[in-house]
Amino acid sequence: MQRRDFFKKLGTVVAVSAVAPMMSFAADEKKPKGPNEFSYEKAVEAITDGKGAKTSSKITLKVPEIAENGAVVPVSVTVDSPMSESDYVKAIHIFATKNNNSRCLAVHLTPANGKAMIATRVKLGGTQEVAALVEMSDGTFLTASQSVKVTIGGCG
Amino acid sequence: MKTGIKIALSLALLSSLSFGGEQFAMSDSDRAMYAEMLENNPADIMVAHGEELLSDMGGDAGLAKYLGVSESELPKYIAGFPRYIEKFDMVVGLGQALQAMMHDTGKKVLKLDSSDMNDMLAYTKSIANDEPINIDVNANQHMKDAYALGQITFDTKRGGRGLSCLSCHSPDVIGTILRTQPLPDLGVNNSGGTWPAYRMTKSNLTTLQGRMQGCMKNALLAVIPLGSPDIVALEVYVTDKAKGKAIAIPGLKR
Amino acid sequence: MEKVKSLIKIKPKKYKDGEVVKVSFMVMHPMETGMRKDKKTGKIVPAEYINSVKFDYNGQVITTMNVWESLSANPVFTIYMKINGAGKLTVSFTDNTGAVNETSTKIKPKG
Repeated sequence: MQRRDFFKKLGTVVAVSAVAPMMSFAADEKKPKGPNEFSYEKAVEAITDGKGAKTSSKITLKVPEIAENGAVVPVSVTVDSPMSESDYVKAIHIFATKNNNSRCLAVHLTPANGKAMIATRVKLGGTQEVAALVEMSDGTFLTASQSVKVTIGGCG
Repeated sequence: MKTGIKIALSLALLSSLSFGGEQFAMSDSDRAMYAEMLENNPADIMVAHGEELLSDMGGDAGLAKYLGVSESELPKYIAGFPRYIEKFDMVVGLGQALQAMMHDTGKKVLKLDSSDMNDMLAYTKSIANDEPINIDVNANQHMKDAYALGQITFDTKRGGRGLSCLSCHSPDVIGTILRTQPLPDLGVNNSGGTWPAYRMTKSNLTTLQGRMQGCMKNALLAVIPLGSPDIVALEVYVTDKAKGKAIAIPGLKR
Repeated sequence: MEKVKSLIKIKPKKYKDGEVVKVSFMVMHPMETGMRKDKKTGKIVPAEYINSVKFDYNGQVITTMNVWESLSANPVFTIYMKINGAGKLTVSFTDNTGAVNETSTKIKPKG
């Protein structure tokens, strides 16, 4: 094989593999609707009673930039709060913004937690933003989000 | 025609090796986040279940007695598997030793591919946690033979694509990225000491032999049966690469 | 019905009264979305997911959770908890099929 042909072929293959993650996401959209279909926008609207939430640096949302696989994506949310009787985090909601049902987990905390930090693992149907919505004890809502690239990776 | 497909496939492999890395390689902080997940490994529950199953057969003490070692020597002894055991006159993996114990104590013998067996094997190996792997491939002729067979099995190209274990785990390709994952050095990443592991893509506990079978399936190689001399030899060969590394069961793998 | 396998882990293992510890609850559960097709039969696997979790420490509900199918199979839930005397931490959980389970661990602060 000529060297040039070799690279031409390589180029084609690379293009395909680069597009593959997006393709798999597009394919997901043809899937049947799940029993709990619920959009992120609808969820935020419902939880905040239409007030919406303010982006805040008080929230530390930790997710991987690139997920090893979409089936197990670690997520942790920490909120800077004294967790005292008068000032605490009431709830932390986690969303996979593009999943059929965007809602993943809603954690209702109390001052007895001592620290406003939660962690879990979510499934992501494709590359998307993961968002945290936090309800403070004074009734205000804060939010933070972070994008996660989901790739089809590895062997088996 | 067939050659054409072969070339296309090997090209596909090559391309992801050389270029996939730049685009999709994980950052160190991402990797650290996944490593942190070990703290709460879902397989901890399976290991606890394995402990219950072993306790039905006399627990650690029963196992030590069956293997002819004291309970305090048991961790060190387990850290030497696969090993030649005289009463079986063959080199066996831990799973087979458990099967023999089930048989000899009149219990139902679990299949090597059953989930109860995986749980039990994982618990049994976890008895040796923190113990360095001390497999001795020169202990006797049987172990020498197993090691040699393991190396041949590891290096031999098979299947339609002509792939061997070495194709992805030889020193010249180790570290290159294949579909977002760096190809691991099986010694450095302690394969011998971190399987059985929870596989996140499969949501289950898998043994080293089971993982090797998965590799063979994906590479379109005829799958070597669990517990066969060839796969035990492969386990011997791969485990020896991690000799001296501490056992940490259950592992957590993508 | 077979008991669902689960585990509560507290970190650090040794803790004092007043200390804030990390509590992780792990459970074996398929977390089926109701959208996945069985590869063999081609039929949709019915939804089966944990929908609520409750942490009860000596009779006080410290944390509750609403859970949906987007969590990974065999999920892990991590929260923090302020140690406030010896006793028991009970985690109870339900799933959408009506299954109810609970598991507990002893809380023994040292010093």
